[in-house]
Amino acid sequence: MSEPDKKPLARSPIAPALPVRVVDGWEVSAARSAAPLTLTDVTPLAKVSVKASARGPAETTIGVRFGRARRIDAGDLVVGSGPGEWLVIGGIGSAPAMTEHWRATTAGAGELVTVLDLTHGRAMLRLTGAHAADALSTICAIDLRDSVTPDGTAFRSSMAALVTDVVRDDVGGVRSYLLHCERSSGQYLFDAVLQAGAAFGVEVCGLTT
Amino acid sequence: MMLLPCPWCGPRNVTEFAYRGENIARPDPNTADKATWRDYLYYRSNRAGWEREGWFHRAGCRQFFSIERNRTTNETRGVGTPDGAGDAAHSGDSR
Repeated sequence: MSEPDKKPLARSPIAPALPVRVVDGWEVSAARSAAPLTLTDVTPLAKVSVKASARGPAETTIGVRFGRARRIDAGDLVVGSGPGEWLVIGGIGSAPAMTEHWRATTAGAGELVTVLDLTHGRAMLRLTGAHAADALSTICAIDLRDSVTPDGTAFRSSMAALVTDVVRDDVGGVRSYLLHCERSSGQYLFDAVLQAGAAFGVEVCGLTT
Repeated sequence: MMLLPCPWCGPRNVTEFAYRGENIARPDPNTADKATWRDYLYYRSNRAGWEREGWFHRAGCRQFFSIERNRTTNETRGVGTPDGAGDAAHSGDSR
């Protein structure tokens, strides 16, 4: 919910494109773009880490295996980001509820499961457009063709020499990637992706809710 | 560019991995003498040819695994399975 008159409680590590507005306590860019390739800082989205043993009973409970991403009923995106490691991405401000939900869901898994809210410790970008893979291919060695990494694929690799979680999460049939990294590296990754997408006409677009 | 086959992620650029060294069995601290400990801590075979080594996929799945690598040609074979089956050194100390 937009709150233009309120001061923000939280800021992304990425400097927002002007003008800015406040959404659920987060300062976000209000810039809009109709370019065919857009880069959006989606750091305010809730990010919850779930960790258990690799191929343990929690994997059956969670229902998403390593290397895949799937939306669940609540609309949250569950990403199998590593063996026994998941990243759950939800709406702004939903992290406390998500954390409680996944603690309760995995409580009966029969093994130790750690659920942690990472929202303020990480940065997240979304690159959307038909040429998104072409742009990312200049800074990432992974084969991004549909035959290898279709919609719903997740992997962690080096992107512009930075360890980055990459999730193929198409929006309305348009190719789109979520890029997730440590908060301190957010501005660097944002600039690197902007530079990579320059040849394809990338523009910055503010977060829409 | 050298590719290393991660048992979880598949072939990746070797720059994504951290090298842990050749796999050496850890001596029993109750029975090992000083010479055995010295050999374990400081001596490596460094032979040309095939050697079983430990690697850590730091920029990927963040899992340890072992693999045979030819130190002359950088060919690889016998990668440990993700579960460590048939790979006695998978979870052990590879120093």
